[in-house]
Amino acid sequence: MGLEVKNVTKTYGTKIAVDNISFSMQKPGVFGLLGTNGAGKTTSIRMILGIIKKDSGDITWNKKQVIRKNINFGYLPEERGIYPKTKIYDQLIYFAKLKGMNTKDADKSIKYWLKRLELEEYTYMLAEKLSKGNQQKVQFITSVMHNPDLIVLDEPFSGLDPVNTEILKSVMIELINKGKYIIMSSHQMSTIEEFCTELIILNKGKTVLQGNLKEIKDSYKANKLEIEVCEDIKNIIKDAGLELIFEKENNYQIKVNSEEQGYELYNLLAKNNVHVNKFEIKKPSLHDIFIEKVGASK
Amino acid sequence: MKDLITVAEFTIKSMLKRKSFIISMIIILVLIIIGFNIPNILNKITDDNDWNSKILLVDNENIFEGTLESLNQMDSAYKFDIVTNNLNNEEIKQKIENGEYDCCLKFLRNETGVTIEYTVESVASFGEIPEEVLEAFNMLYTNVQISKLNLTPEELQNLNTTFEVKVTETDENPASGDQFAIMLLSLALFMAIHFFAYQVSSSITTEKTSRIMETLITSTKPRTIVLGKTIGAGIVGLIQIIIIGITAVISAIIFLPKGALDGILDVSNITPMLGILIVVYFILGYFFFALLYALTGSTVSKPEDVNSANSPIAIIEVAGFYLGYFSMLNPSSKINVLASILPISSPFSMPFRVIMGTATTFQIVLSVAVLVLSVILVAQISVKIYSSAILNYGTKLSFKDMLKIYKNKE
Repeated sequence: MGLEVKNVTKTYGTKIAVDNISFSMQKPGVFGLLGTNGAGKTTSIRMILGIIKKDSGDITWNKKQVIRKNINFGYLPEERGIYPKTKIYDQLIYFAKLKGMNTKDADKSIKYWLKRLELEEYTYMLAEKLSKGNQQKVQFITSVMHNPDLIVLDEPFSGLDPVNTEILKSVMIELINKGKYIIMSSHQMSTIEEFCTELIILNKGKTVLQGNLKEIKDSYKANKLEIEVCEDIKNIIKDAGLELIFEKENNYQIKVNSEEQGYELYNLLAKNNVHVNKFEIKKPSLHDIFIEKVGASK
Repeated sequence: MKDLITVAEFTIKSMLKRKSFIISMIIILVLIIIGFNIPNILNKITDDNDWNSKILLVDNENIFEGTLESLNQMDSAYKFDIVTNNLNNEEIKQKIENGEYDCCLKFLRNETGVTIEYTVESVASFGEIPEEVLEAFNMLYTNVQISKLNLTPEELQNLNTTFEVKVTETDENPASGDQFAIMLLSLALFMAIHFFAYQVSSSITTEKTSRIMETLITSTKPRTIVLGKTIGAGIVGLIQIIIIGITAVISAIIFLPKGALDGILDVSNITPMLGILIVVYFILGYFFFALLYALTGSTVSKPEDVNSANSPIAIIEVAGFYLGYFSMLNPSSKINVLASILPISSPFSMPFRVIMGTATTFQIVLSVAVLVLSVILVAQISVKIYSSAILNYGTKLSFKDMLKIYKNKE
């Protein structure tokens, strides 16, 4: 079972929105779709789900076309939409029925998800009376309530407060544990790093990086050192010939070329009797890699 | 099919629960009830006798032999008081001046017949003796004189000869039926089709505005959405027409005097078969225009643009209605036949040609076939353009853009 996207291209007039992208998901988990605004993420998702037609290439699920007849999928679009004058329960039942559920199963599932996302009190309330965050959670329910195999989430965490973000993260973990195939598009690199095993980074419709997240990160050398101390160590850093990136209240981020350079500085601090509270040699984060790749191609 | 029912059911529930729908429905029903009560309200006002003109009749010579009393049984705006004693001019003048009467008619024999002395405050304000009153005097006087001749019933019948009119029409399919009733029904059909078809357009634009389209089109096919919405809004329209119709009939039965509408509206020509034909044309006509409005509704992103996008369709609809409406004035004309076959005008024309008895069976079959084919064609075009246009959130799509979408085979 799996999703296969092969040499897919889409153009609007003379503009190439997606240029020959390929990737596959052969096992359950979260696949990250990254890119700047207008990079082609939403167009790619729309082509995968058959909302818009591709110009060329193949998109298959178990070697079959991705249509509702062949695969049970759920989709949370980037454009958040809801019927403002309709009660939450009524619109969820409507979508559940359109997704092929019977009333009894739909009722059971809706009640489970409303409780799971802490929306029970709004069940019979008009959607327009809910906050944007809660409306977003309602829309999330429409993408998962029918127990789909493939779930496509376009910017699922945007606009959520920290409490709701945590609730949605716990739901994501639940879905991963249930063996769902999830494609997640996001600008929030931390969430991609948290959930994704495989990813693709797009820029202006082209693939600039793709593969296993761990392998990608492992291919990068350590380049940053974070130290937290109780005193000013700017002079020691200068004496060690290192470049200070950022400093705030004795928390220092320093550029290093290797792990050895980091340990040399640690020894120097020990010689100067500096008490070190935190010492961490870091590899580039996904954010750094993203900036490097997208910035380089600009 | 299951999805189609789900979309239609959701559309019906959403429309029926809408406050604007409930309020407008209540207003319409209240207006209907008030409308049917207007004769009662007018009667209430005129019961006070302020409305009637009071006329004093002086027949001291007994010219009418006591028959003047029968005038008060006439359905007129006058109230007559009859006196048989001789009132002099001064007394009459006083009665008029103190407002007891509007005028006085005093009957006096002369050598050749009867003289009427008409006393009124001012002819300019009250007018001459009303024609209908004079005619009534004439008839009463004639009857009094005839009764003195002791005629046999046959002789009496010969005096009151009635003219029987036999009509021969040279047209093979002469028109019959109440023109007023037909035009009224045509207008009602046009209003119903226009109002409910228009709602489909607004409903689609509202969905675009609420950005729910992507969730919707990944849940079911665009074709199902368009047709489900059209069916749903159409059913709401039918429900509304039925409620209005039932209210009107009940109000007419309860509030109107028996036979009050007979002279105004003759619906005796509407048989059950014709009723079915009217419903068929309502449904087909509704689908034809609703699908066109669905198309225009999908091309705009803002509710304020709906009216301008719908204008071309509204113009076609109004042109079709007027073509059918005015050609009814000459029911046997070729333009009337054409209007009953063209899909833009046939819903407003053919049912009424059938009522008038001017349509042949072939023309009815042809008209229905043309309308069904047009609905299928419009549905195909609308669904295709709708599928591409609903995700367009930019400026309103032009006719050129729509043509490009339709020509695109992919």
